[in-house]
Amino acid sequence: MDLNLNRADYLQVGVTSQKTMKLLPASRRRATQKVVVGDHDGVVMCFGMKKGEAVTVFKTLPGQKIARLELGGVLNTPQEKVFVAAGSEIRGFTKRGKQFLSFETNLTESIKAMYISGSDLFLSASYIYNHYCDCKDQHYYLSGDKINDIICLPVERLPRITPVLACQDRVLRVLQGSDVTYEIEVPGPPTVLALHNGNGGDSGEDLMFGTSDGKLGLIQITTSKPIHKWEIGNEKKRGGILCVDNFDIVGDGVKDLLVGRDDGMVEVYSFDNANEPVLRFDQALSESVTSIQGGCVGKDGYDEIVVSTYSGWVTGLTTEPIHKESGPGEELKINQEMQNKISSLRSELEHLQLKVLQEREKYQQSSQSSKAKSAVPSFSINDKFTLNKDDASYSLTLEVQTAIDNVLIQSDVPIDLLDVDKNSAVVSFSSCDSESNDNFLLATYRCQANTTRLELKIRSIEGQYGTLQAYVTPRIQPKTCQVRQYLIKPLSLHQRTHVIDHDRPMNTLTLTGQFSFAEVHSWVVFCLPEVPEKPPAGECVTFYFQNTFLDTQLESTYKKGEGIFKSDNISTISILKDVLSKEATKRKINLNISYEINEVSVKHTLKLIHPKLEYQLLLAKKVQLIDALKELQVHEGNTNFLIPEYRCILEEADHLQEEYKKQPAHLERLYGMITDLFIDKFKFKGTNVKTKVPLLLEILDSYDQNALIAFFDAA
Amino acid sequence: MLLPVFTLKLRHKISPRMVAVGRYDGTHPCLAAATQAGKVADGASAMVLGTLGDIPSPLAIIGGNCALQGFDHAGNDLFWTVTGDNVHSLALCDFDGDGKKESEDFDIRVFKEDEIVAEMTETEIITSLCPMYGSRFGYALSNGTVGVYDKTARYWRIKSKNHAMSIHAFDLNSDGVCELITGWSNGKVDARSDRTGEVIFKDNFSSAVAGVVEGDYRMDGHVQLICCSVDGEIRGYLPGTAEMRGNLLDTSIEQDLIRELSQKKQNLLLELRNYEENAKAESSSPLNEADGHRGIIPANTKLHTALSVNLGNETQAAHAELCISTSNDTIIRAVLIFAEGIFLGESHVVHPSIHNLSSSIRVPITPPKDVPVDLHLKTFVGYRCSTQFHVFELTRQLPRFSMYALTSPDSASKPLSYVNFTIAERAQRVVMWLNQNFLLPEDTNIQNAPFQVCFTSLRNGGQLYIKIKLSGEITVNTDDIDLAGDVIQSMASFFAIEDLQVEAEFPVYFEELRKVLVKVDEYHSVHQKLSADMADNSNLIRSLLVRAEDARLMRDMKTMKSRYMELYDLNKDLLNGYKIRCNNHTELLGNLKAVNQAIQRAGRLRVGKPKNQVITACRDAIRSNNINMLFRIMRVGTASS
Repeated sequence: MDLNLNRADYLQVGVTSQKTMKLLPASRRRATQKVVVGDHDGVVMCFGMKKGEAVTVFKTLPGQKIARLELGGVLNTPQEKVFVAAGSEIRGFTKRGKQFLSFETNLTESIKAMYISGSDLFLSASYIYNHYCDCKDQHYYLSGDKINDIICLPVERLPRITPVLACQDRVLRVLQGSDVTYEIEVPGPPTVLALHNGNGGDSGEDLMFGTSDGKLGLIQITTSKPIHKWEIGNEKKRGGILCVDNFDIVGDGVKDLLVGRDDGMVEVYSFDNANEPVLRFDQALSESVTSIQGGCVGKDGYDEIVVSTYSGWVTGLTTEPIHKESGPGEELKINQEMQNKISSLRSELEHLQLKVLQEREKYQQSSQSSKAKSAVPSFSINDKFTLNKDDASYSLTLEVQTAIDNVLIQSDVPIDLLDVDKNSAVVSFSSCDSESNDNFLLATYRCQANTTRLELKIRSIEGQYGTLQAYVTPRIQPKTCQVRQYLIKPLSLHQRTHVIDHDRPMNTLTLTGQFSFAEVHSWVVFCLPEVPEKPPAGECVTFYFQNTFLDTQLESTYKKGEGIFKSDNISTISILKDVLSKEATKRKINLNISYEINEVSVKHTLKLIHPKLEYQLLLAKKVQLIDALKELQVHEGNTNFLIPEYRCILEEADHLQEEYKKQPAHLERLYGMITDLFIDKFKFKGTNVKTKVPLLLEILDSYDQNALIAFFDAA
Repeated sequence: MLLPVFTLKLRHKISPRMVAVGRYDGTHPCLAAATQAGKVADGASAMVLGTLGDIPSPLAIIGGNCALQGFDHAGNDLFWTVTGDNVHSLALCDFDGDGKKESEDFDIRVFKEDEIVAEMTETEIITSLCPMYGSRFGYALSNGTVGVYDKTARYWRIKSKNHAMSIHAFDLNSDGVCELITGWSNGKVDARSDRTGEVIFKDNFSSAVAGVVEGDYRMDGHVQLICCSVDGEIRGYLPGTAEMRGNLLDTSIEQDLIRELSQKKQNLLLELRNYEENAKAESSSPLNEADGHRGIIPANTKLHTALSVNLGNETQAAHAELCISTSNDTIIRAVLIFAEGIFLGESHVVHPSIHNLSSSIRVPITPPKDVPVDLHLKTFVGYRCSTQFHVFELTRQLPRFSMYALTSPDSASKPLSYVNFTIAERAQRVVMWLNQNFLLPEDTNIQNAPFQVCFTSLRNGGQLYIKIKLSGEITVNTDDIDLAGDVIQSMASFFAIEDLQVEAEFPVYFEELRKVLVKVDEYHSVHQKLSADMADNSNLIRSLLVRAEDARLMRDMKTMKSRYMELYDLNKDLLNGYKIRCNNHTELLGNLKAVNQAIQRAGRLRVGKPKNQVITACRDAIRSNNINMLFRIMRVGTASS
C-alpha cells in the first residue's frame, strides 16, 4: 500500500529544541488531540485545531529557554501532565495550563535531557546525571562525555529501574543506581533514545537509538548484556536523527517507526514479517525536525504525523486528502476557511508593518545622537560540525530561524570546500593574500530566497590545524552577522573508538615532564576530535582513536607527568610529536619526548593502504574506459565482441561513475598520505628525503605493492 | 500538478545543446539528438532560420567567427555584417521587426537588418537566447544566470550555482503567454513566468538536461514540451489545461501563501524585538567592554568610502583603490564586495588577521575591462572581540575608466595614433564627463577650453591624451584602438550624440592588420595546396588497395604485405596532412577573426549612421580585395575620397 501524506502547517512558535513537542492523549481513538510545544523564549503553548484554526488552550509567560518537554502522570493512567525543563528548573503543568510544580534542581548547569516515569524524574546536564524520586535526590552519576539523551526502561513492566544514557563518545551507558552496569558501543554519537513501540517491545527491554550521523538501531537491554537486534545505516547520506516515535500510520496494526532528521527529512519505516524495518515514506521539510509524534490533530478520524521544526513550525503530515470527493459545497467551505485565515494574517501583517516602520524611524533617528548605542540583534544559529566516516570529510551545517542572506567562510588552514548537491547557494571563492592576513580560504555563499539551512562539506589535511570561521548574515533588519568558529585539529581525521587491534606493530611516543593531568588532557583535546573538554575522573585515562581514512589506529594513555601515544601509522606519531612540542614550548613547559619506531609498522600501513589504492586505481581505469566502450557499442550495435571484462564495465557503468563521483580526489589524498608516510619515516631517522619524493610519485603512477615497499626499504 | 505525458529512455548519451525536432519525411516529426560529439561546420556556431527585414524569402542566418551571414534557399549571400566577437547564439524576434544575435564578449547586440540598434552588456559569456513574446526575449549566461529582456531593459534575472543548458519559450500553463523554460546542468527543469521570473513548474531529471524543444511528437495535434537529459531520458509535457488555473505545482497555493505570510510575520516580529532590545541596551550604562563583545557600537557610527587611483610600488601593481573607514574607534572585521565581472567569482572578500584589525581598510581593485561596475559592499563593523557584527550595506559605482591615472600632460611622449572629431558641447560638459568616468584626484581643477589632459593606463602604462579645442574639436591620442572606441562610445552616450563621424589614424595597428591580411592570403593558398595533395593521396590509396587485393587473390603474400605496408605509410602521411590542414585552418580562422574584429573596431570609433557606413564599406573593400581602400575607410570613415 502506498502511503500518501499531505502537509498542513498549523502554527509557528519560537525556535524549538530537540524533543519539545508532544501530543496530549486523546479521549478516544482517532479523536483530535491537543499539541503542547515549548520554545526558546520559554513559552509553553498548548493548542488544538478547530476548523483549520489553531485555538490556544493555554500559553505561559516567556522565561528561560525550554530544553525538553515530556508528558507524565501516575503510572498506568493517561500521561497528560506536562513537564518542561528550562534552565535548571523543572516545571509541571496540568493539561489546562495550571502550574502544579516548580522544582529548582541543585544542578549548576542547565538541564539538557529529561525523562519522566511516574514519580521518577531522570535529568541530565552536560556531564551529570541525576535521578529524583518525588523531587528527592536518589542517584548521581558523572559521565565521561556529554550526555545527549536519557531514558528509563519501563518500570511498570520490569522489576528494576534501568536508566540508559546516550553519551557523545558513541556509548550507551546502562545504569543501576549510581553505577554503570555496562556500556554499549553504537555506530555513531547517539542523539536520541526511545522505547521500542513506546513500551519497550515484547520484552520491555527493547530500546531504539538514533545517531548524529543518521543511523538507527534497536538494542535489547537485558540485565547482563545488550543484544543488538537491527541497525539501519545511512546509505543516502541524510542528516542526523533528532527524534523518533512509534505510531501505526500505515494502518496495518503494527506500529511504524517515525523518524525526524536534522536535514528536514521525515521518514516512516514499517516492520516486515521478520521484524526488520523497511522504509515506506519520506518527505523533506526545509529545516531540522526537532520533534515528531504520530496522532490526530487536524481532523477527527485522520491519523497524521505531527512534527515541529527548528524555527518553530508545527506541521502535520496527514492522511486526510486535500481534494475531497464530496459535494461542491463543502469544497467551498474549506476555501472560505483558508480565505479567512489569509485575510486575518494579512491584516495582522499590515498592523505589524506599521509598527515596524515607526520603530525603524526611531532607530534611524537614534543614529543621529552621539550618546546612543546600537546593539546587534542576536539570533540563534543551530550549527553542527561533524566528521563523516564514509568519505573522511567534515560537514558543516548552519541553520538560522530566518532566511540566510549570505555566509562568509574563512579559514587560516588550507582546506578544500566541496560542493554539496543539496544546497542551492551560489558560491564564490575570493583570492586571498595568505602571507599577511592568515587567510587560506575565503568563500562567500549567497543564498537563494527562503534558505534557512546551509550545508557545506570540508576536506582537511592531517597535520595542518587552525580555525574555520563562518560569518552568517541573515535577511533581517537591522543587518547583522554572527561569527562561529570551528577548530580543525591536527589529527582531524581521527575518530573515537572503543576497541582497537592490539596485535598491530606500533610506534610509541612517550612524553614525560612536569605537567599536570589537566594540562596533558588539554593537549589531547587540542590534537584530537571527540575528546570531552573536561578532564575525565580518575588519575589515568586511555582513549582509542581510528583514522577514518586509512583505518590506522591511535592509543593514548596519559596521567600526571606522563603521556604515551601508540599508533601503527608513523605519520600520526610525527604529527603528534610536532604539535605537542610546539604546544609545550608555547606554555614554557619542559617536555621530554622520546619515541620508539617500529620499522615493521611502515610496511603494515602500506599494506593497509594497498587495497584502497588498488581499488581506486582500478576504478579510475574503468571509468576512463566507459566512454570509449560506449562508442564502440554504438558502432557495433552490440557488445558480444567485447571480452567479458569490458562487457562487465559497460554493464556497471552507471554504478562505477557514481562511485567515482562520490570520492573526488580520493587517489590524490592517498598519494599525499603515502608521501607523508615516506617523509615521516625518514624524518625519525634524521634524514631528509624530500628530494626523493618525485621518484616516489613515479613509482605510485605505475603502482605495484612490492615495488613500493621495496622503495620504502631501499631509500 | 503537471505530469509528463510520455517518458522514454534512449540508451545513449545526448550531447548538451544538440537536440532538435524536425520533420524528416515531411509528416512524422522526429526528435533528433546528437548522441556523439558532433562536428560543427567551419566557423559557424549558431544558425537560425527566418525572414529578415524587407528580404522576401526566408534566410538561413549563420553566426560564425565574428560575422553574421544570411543565405537564401539558393545559397545566395544576401546579408552580411560583423560583430565584436564569436557569435554564440542567435535568435530572431520582433524587436521592432529585426533579427538579433549575441556574442562571446558578454554583449547582446540587436540588429535591424544589418545595422546595430542596441547593445546590452552582460557580465558573462552568453550561451543562449530565445525569443519570447513580442519584444521580449530570454537569455542564459555561462555562469548560471537566466533572465528576460524587454527591448533593452532587463525584466528579471536569477542566478543559480548550476548552469543553464538550454532555454526555450513555451506556454506551459495555457495563459497565452510563453514561459521561459530552463534546463539546468543538475537535471532540474523549471518554467518561469516571463514577467516576474516566478517558478510555476519544475521537474527533476537524474542527470543534466541536454536540451528543451517543442513539437507535436505524438502526432495528436497538440504541441508538447520535450526535455532530454544527457543520459538519454526524454520526457514530454502537455500544456496545462485551463481548469488548472495555472496551478502546476502540487502543493496548494493557499498553504504556500499562509506559510509565506507567517514567515513575514515572524520576520517582522523579530525585527520589532530587535528594536526593543536595542532600546533596552540604550537605556543601560554607557559603552563598556562586555558591550563590545555583544557587538554594541555607538549609534552614530558611519562608514566612509572613497575611490582613488593607487600608482602602486615594487610589490604591488598599480590599481584602483577603495578605501573604507569607520567614523570612530570601531573596527572593520571583514568586507565583502559583490560585483560582477571584475573578480574571479562574483565576490571579493577582505578579511584581515586578528592582529591587523583597524578602522579602515584599503581594497585594491583591478577591473579587467573598461566598464562601469556597481560595487555592493557589505562591511562587518564591531569591536576586536566581538562575535556579532553590524553589517553596513552600501553600493558604490566604479567609473568606466577607473584604471587610468591622471598624469602631467608633458611627461611622456604622445602616442602617434589618434582619433579626431568635433562635438557641439561646452568644455564644462566635457569636464563633467571626465569627472564621471575617470577617478580624478579631488583637487583637480580643469580650466576652460582649450585644455588637454593626460592619463596613464594602470594596466600597461599606455598613454591617453584628450585635447579639446575652443571649436569643440576633440583629439584623443592613444595606441589602443579599443580604448579610443570606448572613449567615443562613452562620450556619445553621455552627450546623447546620434551620429558622429571620426577621423582615425592608428599606424601600428593598421600595419599589423596589413600583415594579417597577407597571412590570410597565404593560408588560403596553403589550404588549396593541401586539399590538392589530399586528393592525390586518396587516388593513390585506391590503386594501392586494388593492387594489394590482387596480390592476395593471386596468393602472392609477399607483395600483398609490402603493398599493405605502403598503404599504412600513406595512411600515416594522410593523417599528418590532416593535422597540418587542421592547424592551418585554425590559424586561418584566427586571422579571419582578427580581420572581422578590425572592421568592428573601426565601426566602434564612429557612432550611428557613419558606423554602419564604415562596416558596409569595409566589407565591400574586402570583397573586392582592395586593401588600400580598406585602410582609407578605416581612417576617414568613407570610401569616397
